[in-house]
Amino acid sequence: MTLSSPCRGYSRGFVLIALIAVLSSLAVLLWPVAKRSGVEFWVFATFHYPFYRAPVAQWNREHPERPVELSLQPLPALETRLLSALRTGAPVADMMEVERVIAAEMFIGPLDAVGFVDLTERLRAGGWLERFNEPSFSPWTSRGRIFGLPHDVHPVLLAYRADLVEAAGIDVARIETWEDFARELAPLMAERGPDGRPLRYLLNFWPAQIEQTEIFLLQAGGGFFDEHDRPALVTEVNVRVLAQLAAWCAGPSRIATDAADVTALGNRIRLEGGVVCSPMADWMSGLWRHDLPGLAGKMKLMPLPAWERGGRRTSVHGGTGLVISSNSDDVGSAFELALRLYTSPELSDAMFRETGIIGALREQWSRPVYDEPNSYFSGQAVGRLYIEQAPQVPRRSSSPYTVEARRGYCIALRQLVDWAETHHTYDRPALEQRARELLEGVQADLVRRVERNVYLREGGQR
Amino acid sequence: MNARRPCPRCLPWLFAAPFLAVFVLFVAWPLGQSLLLSFQQTYGPRYSTWVGVGNFAFMLHDPSFWLALRNTVVIALAALVVQTPVSLALAMLLNRPGVRGRAVFRLALFAPSLVGLVFAAMLFSMVLERRYGLLNLSLHWLLPSFDTGFAWRQELPLFSLVLASLWLHTGFYMVYFLAALQGVPHEQEESALIDGAGPWQRFRYIVWPEIRPVAGFVTLLSLVGSFQLFELPWLLLDYSAGPTDNRGLTIMVYLYQTGFQSGDLGYASAIGWVLALILMAFTWGQRRLLGDGTD
Repeated sequence: MTLSSPCRGYSRGFVLIALIAVLSSLAVLLWPVAKRSGVEFWVFATFHYPFYRAPVAQWNREHPERPVELSLQPLPALETRLLSALRTGAPVADMMEVERVIAAEMFIGPLDAVGFVDLTERLRAGGWLERFNEPSFSPWTSRGRIFGLPHDVHPVLLAYRADLVEAAGIDVARIETWEDFARELAPLMAERGPDGRPLRYLLNFWPAQIEQTEIFLLQAGGGFFDEHDRPALVTEVNVRVLAQLAAWCAGPSRIATDAADVTALGNRIRLEGGVVCSPMADWMSGLWRHDLPGLAGKMKLMPLPAWERGGRRTSVHGGTGLVISSNSDDVGSAFELALRLYTSPELSDAMFRETGIIGALREQWSRPVYDEPNSYFSGQAVGRLYIEQAPQVPRRSSSPYTVEARRGYCIALRQLVDWAETHHTYDRPALEQRARELLEGVQADLVRRVERNVYLREGGQR
Repeated sequence: MNARRPCPRCLPWLFAAPFLAVFVLFVAWPLGQSLLLSFQQTYGPRYSTWVGVGNFAFMLHDPSFWLALRNTVVIALAALVVQTPVSLALAMLLNRPGVRGRAVFRLALFAPSLVGLVFAAMLFSMVLERRYGLLNLSLHWLLPSFDTGFAWRQELPLFSLVLASLWLHTGFYMVYFLAALQGVPHEQEESALIDGAGPWQRFRYIVWPEIRPVAGFVTLLSLVGSFQLFELPWLLLDYSAGPTDNRGLTIMVYLYQTGFQSGDLGYASAIGWVLALILMAFTWGQRRLLGDGTD
């Protein structure tokens, strides 16, 4: 019989490959995807993960019908997966701990497309809004709605090399403002190297350190947005801080140096005594204990010097919160577990001892763990020092344009430092005029970016 | 039974069908979609708003876009003005008769291109490190007044990128030139030498016409590579670590930030289309300048 099938003329190999291609495509299309049961929970902080394993195991014993699957995701992976899920509808975990800047990125669209469950009513009904530190909700709040439970407060103090400061006979109690700081600690910069440059600088800060810049700005009462999340860069405070930060970094008598946190070079400079003081959030105090054991017993903490007498002595740095995906099938369980994790006194104590992090639930701040002396910080009760400042941490905007605003402010700072060096102008009042001009440029660009967002312009709804 | 013969008009289409299917699915349709996207503002799969030429109009006044474009053009020009001539010069040195250890030099110069952009970025972030980086320590050793605290990556990001790119790509392009130089007839060079032609004349009238097609190809490759530069600035200038100064922003990094971090796929598509047009213009200019190698 003569073959008249469509296969005639094709080799067996070709037919086999074509058949496999068709069958495998069909298999992929028709393969049933098993529906996930229980709650998937992603965390990014390696320090948090070990503390959650025991409570999650306990939860799974209590609720075998609603098991929780805990997994550790690197922060960039979590960010990419979260943003991809939001923009493509791909699956994502039921609940996640996210960093505050990533959360802000989710607020760029309409309110009903944020991708997180609106927790406002649940928090209000449970009385949690009053029990948690109120400013700590701000990074998770957009257009009046709260989308996350704050994990921490992250107040900032000033860490200083007590061995160097005390050897020089300096009394830090006399330091109340940044002016006092520069004046009182100035003798520590007297020692010079063979090239005539100071062997040590007073402050770890540099225009490239975007997060440090924001710490100082927020402490001074400045910020990038007004209470309605509209760009507000050209304010008296922002101008003054920009000029002061530039003055710290420019000229022959600059007091700041770049010993960036969590870098090998920065740590080496710190160990060598190349820098005396660093702004330090609670979580950073835990990190130093792990990364810089060589400084144990040499460090102490004090409140940040204020920008004016009687002013705020703290700021805020970083922030993690727990959000629930709006695709979650079991929001109730996720919220219940979130509260269990964030309100457990035992977990809070253990996490503070290991990481230095102060939880956001205010009723726990009176626990004795925070009064324990810390040998790394020369026996100071570090927890109490942070808690004393915690209620004053500044509020932060959750604008999705925070990243752009921070970058713009830092570019203005770097340009101002360059300008100061070029014009040999290092006094703050003289720098302020130029600072204002630079911020006006950043503001104009930011306003154009925000205004072209049709979703925010339309009141946040589709 | 006679087999039914397929229609002769359909046969070419039948043969072309697999290619056409793949082309339409993975090239034509995404291109069309991205063109449509460039006229929209989107947020996720459910929200899109027609903004006409709004994205392109915004681009005209977007300082970040112009900064990124300017930086990218500077890097492309550096590649043309520094990288390509250095590659050619190295190839000519290695092509000289009597060079000992030619294979070793060739391997040593080509080896960096085997390691990839990510490795090069990591390596140069150490070489250019403040205080303890190889470059600063070497310069301080040569000039004791040089401040080892100089931050190359922050202060001169474009120079840092060009330096890393030069180290990475010069050997790669050198191999192309070397292959082309080995195809230049020696008899012609010898005749010219006997006739009294100098080195420049021999290069200009004998070597260059022979290697011009390869030079054109290398130029195009380096131009496109410069415009596509992403991994090197992303890692070397720490864009991966979070928001940072924009001084070393390249057009691909800006496109990525816009589309995949800010989620503005419409504007990112508009940037992509403008980039494509710029590349077309550069390619056209390059072909006008160097010819297409067929003459």
